Amino acid sequence: MMTTPEPSAAPAAAAATSPERRLHPWSWLFVLLQQLRQFVVPLVAAFFFGGNRNELWPLIGVAVLAVTSLLQYFTYRYRVGDGILSIRSGWLHRSRREIPFARIHNVAVQQTLLHRLFDVAELRLESAGGQKPEAQMRVLRLDDALALERLIRHRGAAATPGPADVAVDDRVLLALPTAEVLRLGLVSNRGLLLLGGAAAAVSQVRPRLLPNLFESWGETLFGWAGSHHFGWAQYALAAASLALAFVVLLRALSIASALLQYHGFRLSEHGRRLTVERGLLARLRTSASRRRLQAWTLHEGVLHRLFRRRSLHVDSAAGAQGEHAQRTLRELAPIATPQSCDALIEHLLPRDAGWHALHWQPLDVRAWWRLWLPGLVVPAALAVALVWRFGAWGLLVLAWLPWSAFAAHRHLRHAGYALGPALVAVREGWWSRHWRFAEIDKLQALRLSRSPLDRRCGTATLWLDTAGAGPLSPPLRIRFLPEAAAQALYAQLAHALARRPLRW
Amino acid sequence: MIDQDTTTMHVDAGWQPLPPRAASLLMLGHAALFALPLALGLLVLVTALGLRMPLATGGVGLLLGLGAGAWYGRKVYRATFWRLDADGFALRRGRLWQRETRVPASRVQHLDLRHGPLERRWRLATLVVHTAGSRFSTVTVSGLDAADAERLRDRLARQLDDDDDA
Repeated sequence: MMTTPEPSAAPAAAAATSPERRLHPWSWLFVLLQQLRQFVVPLVAAFFFGGNRNELWPLIGVAVLAVTSLLQYFTYRYRVGDGILSIRSGWLHRSRREIPFARIHNVAVQQTLLHRLFDVAELRLESAGGQKPEAQMRVLRLDDALALERLIRHRGAAATPGPADVAVDDRVLLALPTAEVLRLGLVSNRGLLLLGGAAAAVSQVRPRLLPNLFESWGETLFGWAGSHHFGWAQYALAAASLALAFVVLLRALSIASALLQYHGFRLSEHGRRLTVERGLLARLRTSASRRRLQAWTLHEGVLHRLFRRRSLHVDSAAGAQGEHAQRTLRELAPIATPQSCDALIEHLLPRDAGWHALHWQPLDVRAWWRLWLPGLVVPAALAVALVWRFGAWGLLVLAWLPWSAFAAHRHLRHAGYALGPALVAVREGWWSRHWRFAEIDKLQALRLSRSPLDRRCGTATLWLDTAGAGPLSPPLRIRFLPEAAAQALYAQLAHALARRPLRW
Repeated sequence: MIDQDTTTMHVDAGWQPLPPRAASLLMLGHAALFALPLALGLLVLVTALGLRMPLATGGVGLLLGLGAGAWYGRKVYRATFWRLDADGFALRRGRLWQRETRVPASRVQHLDLRHGPLERRWRLATLVVHTAGSRFSTVTVSGLDAADAERLRDRLARQLDDDDDA
């Protein structure tokens, strides 16, 4: 298990004179497996569905991969120096890499089920920007990995002088009991993603499998139904129960996935670094410095509200866009009560941020029609198409419009922004709400934009850009601001930013 | 903010237009951008529909695209302004959809200066300002006067040196 590491850092802590070390003797096996993983589905598929058994060429490929993995093991050395990690690798093409601990933003220790059987772990070190990690050590003995992680945490903190260095002990900020993880599964839509992913994977391997399945299933169903002559009530009942079964299936999948990924979730603080541990079978432990956190998102969906919960996410500058985005520290609280979310925010933001004391400014509710307008296009087009096909009944679609107008109105009633001495925050949404905020120090660029409609209404939109924001995270922007206010805010922020140095 | 550069360039000289030479560059660039797809698209469409005179139609498309591109390039030229003041660099773009992007000097990560063949001929340059942000992480200004661009680069880069590299 990957619980709190005991201070067994002694072997790695021997300063600059420490000897060169190798990865775990079994590491070549894991490298090989990693490389094979992308071939494994086609291989298995070819074996079971291909029919032609005398194709031995994949085995040659596997042998070549095995040899390269072994070579990689024999040529990969690392040495822990004074505040620096140097890595030598390669045989024909040699490379040597020096990574100062202070530059490492994110440390992730990952253990799959197989890793756990061998008592090893994969260590990944990430710096800001960059798609690839600075170093990826696959694999180390678990206690070596934890010792190295610990060392980096300490040296990283020591290299950046500050007042908060004295705190030594791990302090748990949030731990999710199983009941909470179950709630998380109920609330999230992981099941849908899982199902979609599975369908995509299946259609990659066997393109005709799913359509055929649906076809034969439909034929059986309709044949059976046709031979029984049901009334419309029975059909409605059948459809409703099918839909219900689907929803239940999705939720069950969601819960299973949440349990796998978030079982034993623990957010802890060690000096200035935050560490998240989670996972049922595969364990993941990732840590980042508190000041590397960029923009924050507090989210509350409809189901969240039903359970009186919220979720808290944060962008970190390291490796945010890469394929390993999920391994960086993003989720501070996958699910937690609003009070504990607020307490976390208060605790983790700098003291002068004043999350509680923010003075929220409402947006002008009279601009509701501008939220509503873009949503008119689809119903209008749909109505035209339906009227053309079914006659006047198609106009029923337009009944959606009053509702969407109402929703837009409520949305704006809830929306707002706040500018504190060190924090800027935006809130939006009505059914599904979010709060997005960042320290002013963490802003990178500003944009003031005015569409033709904006100019007609005398308003403007202010965009604030932060590092590490994913394409799916809500933007940090203030819409429908009166132009004078927008200009003033823009100038004020630009001036403040120019005075404050960028602190990673 | 007093340094030796203030003799050649004021710290804040207000909003600066692009030099008139940039108009030709932008018009040419947009004309090429508009004309080729339009001509090819029309050609393919006419051929696919089996109409007569595909080449002539393509030619008309080419001319139309050239005209529209040049017109649009001129509009872009007239709607683009930049500014360097004590707070940093700002770029104003667009007339219908106005966007003003500001990169505080303290947030500049690195800078690129590019000179294409035509730009070299007309003593123009493209300045690319990179920040660590995500949505507006690169701000590109093409058609700057080459000397202005170099001064911009030097001034914004000096700010970088002032920052410690801890």
